[in-house]
Amino acid sequence: MKRILTVDDSASVRQMVSFTLRKAGYEVVEAVDGKDGLAKVGSGKFDLIITDLNMPNMDGIEMMAAIRKLPGYSFTPMLMLTTESQVERKDAGRKAGATGWIVKPFDADKLIAVMQKLVK
Amino acid sequence: MSVGTTTDVVPTLEKAKGELEAMARIVESEIGLVARAFEGLAGHTDTILDLAAAIVGRVENEGVSSILPKVQTLGAAARRFIAERLQATTGILEMVTTEVKLLGQLTGVACSQETIALEIKALSVLTNIEVVRLGTIGTGFQYLARELADFSKSVAEDTRELAGHTAVGRAAIEDARRVLSAELPRLREELARIEVDLGNALATVDSSLAQLSRTPMQFRTGVEDIARQIAGVVAAIQTHDINRQMNEHVQEAFALISARMRGAEDSEDGVARELPRAYAGLTIQIYQLRSIKGTVANWTSQIRACMSGILKVSAGEVVGIGPAVLEQEQKVSSQLARIELLERESQGYSERIQRTLGGLSNLMQLVSELLKRSKSIRDRLRLLAFNAIIETSHLGTQADVILAISKSIKEISAAWSQITDQSGRAMQEILNLVKQTNQVMEAFSQARNESLREAQVQARAGLDNLRTAAEFAGRQAQEMKAATEKMQVKIAQVGKTGDLLDACFGRVDAVLTEIESVRLQLEIDQPDVKEQYDAAEVEQLFSASYTTELERDVLRAALRGGALPVVQQMSAGNSVELF
Repeated sequence: MKRILTVDDSASVRQMVSFTLRKAGYEVVEAVDGKDGLAKVGSGKFDLIITDLNMPNMDGIEMMAAIRKLPGYSFTPMLMLTTESQVERKDAGRKAGATGWIVKPFDADKLIAVMQKLVK
Repeated sequence: MSVGTTTDVVPTLEKAKGELEAMARIVESEIGLVARAFEGLAGHTDTILDLAAAIVGRVENEGVSSILPKVQTLGAAARRFIAERLQATTGILEMVTTEVKLLGQLTGVACSQETIALEIKALSVLTNIEVVRLGTIGTGFQYLARELADFSKSVAEDTRELAGHTAVGRAAIEDARRVLSAELPRLREELARIEVDLGNALATVDSSLAQLSRTPMQFRTGVEDIARQIAGVVAAIQTHDINRQMNEHVQEAFALISARMRGAEDSEDGVARELPRAYAGLTIQIYQLRSIKGTVANWTSQIRACMSGILKVSAGEVVGIGPAVLEQEQKVSSQLARIELLERESQGYSERIQRTLGGLSNLMQLVSELLKRSKSIRDRLRLLAFNAIIETSHLGTQADVILAISKSIKEISAAWSQITDQSGRAMQEILNLVKQTNQVMEAFSQARNESLREAQVQARAGLDNLRTAAEFAGRQAQEMKAATEKMQVKIAQVGKTGDLLDACFGRVDAVLTEIESVRLQLEIDQPDVKEQYDAAEVEQLFSASYTTELERDVLRAALRGGALPVVQQMSAGNSVELF
């Protein structure tokens, strides 16, 4: 079973992401912010990471940049799930290593369809 | 009241911030409950969909749709069966009625024969008397007396035999005629009833099967509907998070305005310079709060609508299939049982008729033997009469009595001949009728039942499949009902939470009223406060923390004095943009 890490400081968003992914057959681990996310990545392997952008302690861009430096995570798909849609923010995300960008709220079917392509 | 000092503005903003913070905590907690209730609801929905899928699969696997042509074939075979028997019974009844008449004729023949037997006996006695009277001349006629006595005895015996068997045969045929006469109207009635009842049964099976055949499509549509409702709830709960951030940004803005107002107190005209920015800031927050109100109304009603939608689709038509189909199966099965009963009864009276016909055939065999003997008696009587007449011609007038007796014998012989012929004709007609009846009875043969039997077997097998599928569907439906009841409990929980959220978000109105009141007072105290701020500076100041396009659009609308941007609640959500 493929393992997904979802990182968001909003409990309800984490709940909806987990619900959607588990329904599609994925194993899901939750983290409450960038620091928590980085720690979880350090203690387990994930096939894909979905992360919010604006979080306390460590934001999503900082977390992604750190994760990309970890062994085995150079090509791991990472999706940004955020309320932000400005071009500058997307560029920053892409440079930090984001594979894709989703403006909240996400479409469950479309998210799963993309994940099935990214995680085989 | 003058709001030119921070004493009035700042406490109001701090109180408003506190209200919004408290509201956010409650909302977050309640949304957590909603999300958990929703997950439970979705779990029950999956259970129901699995159960419904099993029903649909079972219905398709059992070949339920093939039952209708089988029942139609059965109906046609049953109608043919009854119609053939009706026709055959009508034909047989006519033949049997004729047989009764012919047997009546034979009974009449037996009566005539009895009379002739008595006449011959009388002639035998007369002959004996005359032989004695004639003395030696009469010895030549002793044989005549003996023959006549023998004939009388044979005829009497044959007649008794014929009468006895004919009476038995006639009684059996009369009985058969009574049975058929009673059977005929009953068959006609049964045919008419079966036409109507089978027609109705077929119509209900047809409609029930039509419903069954729509089930897979309805089920798939239902699955798609549910997926849409679930997507709606997922999108709505995420939208709450967007509102949460907007709320936080409004609180931050209040804190910023308060901090700047306090800082402005340090300089002489600091407050007066800060007031226009504060005014613009308050205007922006008023717009943001109104936007939050609108968005909240959208996503809370979407959650309610989608959850109800899930419940509605889950408790759809699939649930009722089992009991409905079982009812139809029972109706058709009862028709099948009725046809089987009809078949058994038909077989019963056909066997009875066969026995009667067999008895009649045996009777005709006896009549045929009697007829042979009768012809022999006729020929002998004729010869006897002839010889006696010749003998008497030698004796002259002395043998006048014997001559008369001989002539009587001759007449009797002629009468006997007529009776023999009559018996022969009656017997031949009866034999022909028996042969025809046997041919008509072919309609009752086992071979002719084959097509009905085959149709019954097929229909029974089809109904067994239907019953199995219906019973399975019924059991699944019970579980679906239990799951639906659990869903209703969850929905009720969501309903209560929804009411709480409504009450909670009512605090936004209270905060709006306070902030609007403060802003109005600013306008009254300083009428030109609206024109004294730099829009670009204010935009940069208050949008720094914004994370959504909506907030930026609302800010711009506030600074322009335009209408609030209208936000449609997304029913599904956004796509993934891959880099």
